[in-house]
Amino acid sequence: MSCMHGWPVVKGDYQAGNDKSRICVVTLASHFELVPECMKKVAIIGPCHTENLGIEKIIANVVANPNIRFILICGEESRGHMSGNTLKAIHANGIDDNGRIISSEGAIPFIENIPEDAVKRFQVQVQLIDRIGETDMKIILQIIEEYHNKGDAFSEPPMIVHAVQKKRKREKLEIKGAGDVLISRDVSLDASSGIIA
Amino acid sequence: MFRFQKEQKIVNIAGVKIGGQPGELATVLAGTIFYPNHKIVEDGGQGVFDKKKAEVLINKQSSCADETGNPCMVHIFSSSEVGIKKYIDFVSEITEAPFLIDSTEACVRMEGVKYVTEVGLADRAINNSINMAITDDEIDVLRHSGVDASIVMGFNAMDSSLEGRIALLENGANVAEKGLIQIAEDCGISKILIDPSITPIGNGAGIALRMTLVAKAKWGYPVGSGIHNAPSSWNWLRNKKKEDALIYKACDMGSIGLQQMAAGDFILYGPIGNAPYVFPMAAMADIMIAEAAADFDIIPADDHPINKLV
Repeated sequence: MSCMHGWPVVKGDYQAGNDKSRICVVTLASHFELVPECMKKVAIIGPCHTENLGIEKIIANVVANPNIRFILICGEESRGHMSGNTLKAIHANGIDDNGRIISSEGAIPFIENIPEDAVKRFQVQVQLIDRIGETDMKIILQIIEEYHNKGDAFSEPPMIVHAVQKKRKREKLEIKGAGDVLISRDVSLDASSGIIA
Repeated sequence: MFRFQKEQKIVNIAGVKIGGQPGELATVLAGTIFYPNHKIVEDGGQGVFDKKKAEVLINKQSSCADETGNPCMVHIFSSSEVGIKKYIDFVSEITEAPFLIDSTEACVRMEGVKYVTEVGLADRAINNSINMAITDDEIDVLRHSGVDASIVMGFNAMDSSLEGRIALLENGANVAEKGLIQIAEDCGISKILIDPSITPIGNGAGIALRMTLVAKAKWGYPVGSGIHNAPSSWNWLRNKKKEDALIYKACDMGSIGLQQMAAGDFILYGPIGNAPYVFPMAAMADIMIAEAAADFDIIPADDHPINKLV
C-alpha cells in the first residue's frame, strides 16, 4: 500500500528510510545512525526524548503510513520523561478525557495536538517490540531483519492527522484601557507613553 | 521600549538581583554544566567529571560576568542523586554565584534540595522547577527545606496557548489542584522566578515571549527562560549546522536578544561553554534597552553593562 505523499508528514529528529518497510525504530534517548544498506529496511528511525510532543510525532507519522506494522523501541530510556514507558502505555491504554496517557510513568504524559482517533488507529495498526535499554546494534539489526517485510500492510488508508482544533472560542480581542498595542486579553501597551498595563 | 505599570519585584539570591523594569537591572545569565552528553562528565551516575575542565568553564563564565556586568548563575544538571550532591559541592566551592538544581527526575531534584539544606547552601540554590508534574513528595521536601527560590514553569501540556499557560500558574487549569504560584508559596518559595516554558519551534515557542510580557504585567515577578531550546529543537536549523556551525550559533545567540526584548530578566542560555558569546550579546541588548528606557526615569544599576562597557 502506498503511504501519504510527502511522508514522513511531521518533521523531526529522525532518518527516513524505506517507506514500504514494516518496521520503524524508536531509539528513545539514544542516537543510532544506520548505514544506507540498513536504511532500506526501516521506514524511519530516530530518538524520542519526550513523553508528550515526541509521542505525538511518532503517532502522526505512523498512522500516515499503513506499511508500518511494527515499532521497535530500543535505546536508553529517556530519564524522567520515560518516553519508552509512555509509548507502551499509550499503545496499551490510550488516553483519558483530559488527554493524559493512561498509566504512563512519565512526568507530563499528555496528548494535546492529535485527535483520539489517531491514537486508536495507532493502537490497532502497530505492534510494539519492547527492547527498552537495548543498545547493541547487532541485536537491533537482527530485529529489523526479522520484521522489515513481515506480514501485510494495514488494511486502511493513510490517516492524515490534523492538529486538534481547540474548542476555545476565537473571539475578537479588544484593547482594554488606555493602551493601543494588544498583548493579551487584559494586557496592553500604550505606545506613546510606553506603559504596559 | 516600555515600562510596566505593575510594580516589578526584584529578588536577591546570594547577592544576585533578578527582575525589575526593563533597563533597570542587567539580564542574569545561567550556563548549564554537567548536562547530558557534556564531554566533561565521565560517569553521570556516579558524578565523576573532569574537575579541571569544569573549573575552567565556571571561572570563564564568572570572568564574562565581571567584564560585562551581567550577573551569572550556574545551572547544574544531574541525572543521578549521587551526582547532584557532588556537583553542588564542586560548584559551590569554585564560585559564590547562585546555582540551579535541575534534573529530569524528581528524585534527583529532591535529593539536591535536601542536600543544600543539610550543608547550609540553601540560600544559594534555586529549585528548577515547580511544574505541572510536581508530586506531593516534592512539595513536602520543598516545604521542609531551606530553599526559598524556585523557577515556576508555565508548561501546560493540555493547553499550550498563552491562556492555558497563564491559567496553569493562576488556578491550576484543571491540571493541578491549585495554581502553581500558590503551590510555590505553599512550599515556602518567596523568590518566584517565572519560566513561560520554551516549547519547540513550531509548537508555540513564540508564545513564551508574549507570556513574558503578560506575566510581568500581571504579577510583577521576574520572568526568564531557556530560550536556547527553541533553536536547538529546530530540525531545519540543526541540518544547517552541518553546513556551517556559525549559522546555528548566530540563531542560538540571537534568541537571547529576543527574550531580552520581551522583558526577560534571566536567561538559561544552555551550555556554559557558550559564555564568551552569550555575555556580549546580552550586554549589548541590555545597553540598548537601558538607553531606550531612559525616558521612563529608569536608572540602570551601577554595574549594569551600560555603566561598564560604554
